[in-house]
Amino acid sequence: MTETRTAVLQPTGRLNMVAAPAFKNLVEETVASGQTRIVVDLGQVSFIDSSGLGALISGLKATRQAGGDLRLADVPEQVMTVLKLTNLDRVLRVHPTVVDASREW
Amino acid sequence: MSGDYVLEGPAVPESLDLVHDLLEQVGREHPDLEPGDLTMFETAVIEVAGNVVEHGRPPGHVSWTFRLSVLPDRLEGELSDSGEEYGGGTWGTTMPSDLLQEDGRGLALATAVLDSLEYERAATANHWTMLRHRS
Repeated sequence: MTETRTAVLQPTGRLNMVAAPAFKNLVEETVASGQTRIVVDLGQVSFIDSSGLGALISGLKATRQAGGDLRLADVPEQVMTVLKLTNLDRVLRVHPTVVDASREW
Repeated sequence: MSGDYVLEGPAVPESLDLVHDLLEQVGREHPDLEPGDLTMFETAVIEVAGNVVEHGRPPGHVSWTFRLSVLPDRLEGELSDSGEEYGGGTWGTTMPSDLLQEDGRGLALATAVLDSLEYERAATANHWTMLRHRS
């Protein structure tokens, strides 16, 4: 039961104004399907902008409203810097790996 | 400014990838640039350009010219767009206090990673000038 509630999403490339709407929809669809614990594996994301951050915040709210949570894993340097500059590292939990992020919800 | 690199086109979301591509080209052609400097400059440029895409008026009918210079001590960029005068008011410098707000961080983020961000309305264009000193 626990495992079926967990989903790992792996966006790739630039999570910017072009890609953010589709990613936001993907999170919403995932939550709607009953998987309310979402790990976002950012290891293949080369760049994030404020639109991408907005999509992550949207996902965080969607999962929490459904009784779950959204966590980040394998966060690249540019993304980590932007998370800190925007103070979003206070609300988006960062884990070294997907395995770490998938433990103890 | 003259600009070592120039990019022209419509101010639409798809053009942002061309801006990214240009910044990657700058990195390849200037291996002496600290990657962190270029990445943070790119972060700012994309936020400023994204702001034009999102708020430029009339929507879908704004074009821009982006110029970038790599100088010994700094990176300079200027984004000029053909839109109506930017009506953002006291834009820019503070992040939303509500951490769960989904938007409103773009120009604040650009401000945070630049040493200078200036906006000027001149003739029929908006000019956004960005400067970051090199490490």
